[in-house]
Amino acid sequence: MTPLPRPDRAPEPGQPAVLVRDVDMDFGSGPLAVAGASFALARGRFLTILGPSGSGKTTLLRIIAGFQQPTRGEIRIGGQAVTATAPHRRSIGMVFQKLALFPHMTAAENVAFPLKMRRHDPATIPGKVERYLDLVRLGGLGGRRIHELSGGQQQRVAIARALVFEPELLLLDEPLAALDRKLREEMQLEFRRIQKELGVTTINVTHDQREALVVSDEIIVMDHGRIQQHARPVEMYRLPANPFVAGFVGVSTFLEGRRTATGLDAGGAACAGTPVGAIPEGAPVQGAIRAEQIRIEADPARLAGCDTILPGIVRDTIFEGERLLYLVEAPALGLALQVYHHDPEEFALFDAGAEVSLGWNARDLLIFNRQDGRDGR
Amino acid sequence: MSSFRYPLRWRLMDALERAADLLWPERLSRFTGWLMIAPALLLVGLLVLGLAEMADGSLRTLDRATFLPSEELSLANYETALGSATYWRVFGRSILGATLATALTLALAFPYAYALVRVPGAVTRKALLVVLFLPFFIGQVVRAYGWLIILGNGGMVNEALGLVGIAPQRLLFNFPAVVFGLVQYLLPFAVLMLAPALTAIPAETETAARSLGASWVRTIWHVVLPMARPGLIGAGLVTMTLALTDFATPAMLGGGSQDFIANAIYDQFFRTADQGLGSALALMLVAAGSAIVALVLGLFGAGTLAMGARR
Ligand SMILES: Nc1ncnc2c1ncn2[C@@H]1O[C@H](COP(=O)(O)OP(=O)(O)O)[C@@H](O)[C@H]1O
Ligand SMILES: [Mg+2]
Repeated sequence: MTPLPRPDRAPEPGQPAVLVRDVDMDFGSGPLAVAGASFALARGRFLTILGPSGSGKTTLLRIIAGFQQPTRGEIRIGGQAVTATAPHRRSIGMVFQKLALFPHMTAAENVAFPLKMRRHDPATIPGKVERYLDLVRLGGLGGRRIHELSGGQQQRVAIARALVFEPELLLLDEPLAALDRKLREEMQLEFRRIQKELGVTTINVTHDQREALVVSDEIIVMDHGRIQQHARPVEMYRLPANPFVAGFVGVSTFLEGRRTATGLDAGGAACAGTPVGAIPEGAPVQGAIRAEQIRIEADPARLAGCDTILPGIVRDTIFEGERLLYLVEAPALGLALQVYHHDPEEFALFDAGAEVSLGWNARDLLIFNRQDGRDGR
Repeated sequence: MSSFRYPLRWRLMDALERAADLLWPERLSRFTGWLMIAPALLLVGLLVLGLAEMADGSLRTLDRATFLPSEELSLANYETALGSATYWRVFGRSILGATLATALTLALAFPYAYALVRVPGAVTRKALLVVLFLPFFIGQVVRAYGWLIILGNGGMVNEALGLVGIAPQRLLFNFPAVVFGLVQYLLPFAVLMLAPALTAIPAETETAARSLGASWVRTIWHVVLPMARPGLIGAGLVTMTLALTDFATPAMLGGGSQDFIANAIYDQFFRTADQGLGSALALMLVAAGSAIVALVLGLFGAGTLAMGARR
């Protein structure tokens, strides 16, 4: 097995629209909220900062917006150092977590507000307001008060208000978190459409890995204030840089063991796998395998071609509609694996207690050095 | 063994509920709401009775020979009040004084309440609250006396002025002194009514306004003030009513020369013993106050006093 190259920061040619260099944020209590964050974002790209609650996403976004001064480090927007520039002089449009619309104004007045505050020519303001209300598909609703609009329509007003003065950078701080799932998925696609239409460089913050995969050109995964990986969505999913990313994006099962020539040895059970980076044989490692990359069959003969085949006993069956999630105990490994099963042909269904066989390919069990990288659980 | 122990508070509640069930059986529960507001209704009822009694009294003139109210009814007391230049002056002074005091109080209370709500430190917030409440604890009479000590002819301010060679100034017993005293008396009420209205404005809304290009001043003007409107109206109504009907401040800081309506009423009831004229003045004060409140409600809505009802 040749080791895969460690996925690196997604490089982009040309002058970056946003450059974050060595940013630390120390609130004085506890560990750094942001530690050594560095990344570059090319013009017109849609970046999502993904991480669990408390990982420092909002803090990093607020530093970029200028609401917070970093303890250390530098921010450049469009090539210019803005670390000491006030927020409203940074040409940034921001959509807030709770939208922060002005309830005493109509939708159109909300959208006109930044134009008036930025002293645009009053003659041009009505035209711009109308254009941006149309862009977010709110044409004709400009006269409505905020409380007369639905949740999704309020989102749209907030987007129009953040974009109408044509900022160089759009920042989104989990504005979709409070929406129900259907509306959230609709608005994700709207964000993507509007962003592509205007070509505005965008940084989105979320804890929802699905949203990050759906909307972004690139993703940064953060944990404990540190950037864990910066990559394109497919790369992030297929080649997580460490067990934390493997566990946070997608559903994975983790195996403990020692590195062998062909994969890892988990307490006597040989599992075929692919090391991420160079790992010496015998080193303690952690393996991660995605639930949808494990095959489950009643008859082991049907798993011919899999690099690893293990017997298992079904412990729980969760019907998710488009697929089944099995919790399968593998006695050889001494743990339960999460296995997705999508079977369009036979609609096979294993009940708890059923004896099954599990199989996977060496490509799909990623092996991480336990000495570096963070734990996946 | 379960380690869960039924809390004492719950057992007390059970006992209370059993007792309540004996006194006020479940099937009367439809009337429980009425029972709860009965004491308040009783108080308001007494007040209305008193007003009716006053209305009756206001229609009877005082017989100067017997010092008894007349048997027959007439509007003579109202004629006396409306025909007197003195009462018009007192009335005008009350309205002007109350309006000025309200405007100044709101102007001072708004920044104070804003600071109270937005300061980051809990210690600073507590300090601001204590400073606000200190005059409350002292009471109106002692406070007014304090002003006499500070502003009187031989007071601290005049002594300080004397040190730099300025002749003693008459700082008390004039209209500005009364307005000043009213503002100081009303400020805590206004701040306490404004603070919840400002708390209801998310800090993020202000951050948003700033990020959209509004300066600090414009954020206050275009966002905070309009959003605080219900609080300003509520505080304004309470302040205005308290100022218009105040007795102690004009009496003590006005020194008899700056009477408000309440002082004039007091004189009729307790000095001249002309109950009829006093009652007429009192009813006219109630009418004026109600008219002002109705005007504000009609123009601006009920503000925070609407308690979340749709306007
Ligand atoms: N103003 C602040 N003062 C002190 N600590 C803060 C402040 N803002 C955030 N933090 C801390 O910084 C860490 C990261 O917070 P945040 O950026 O809000 O995370 P996220 O947005 O990823 O949930 C948390 O531990 C949080 O408690
Ligand atoms: Mg956050």
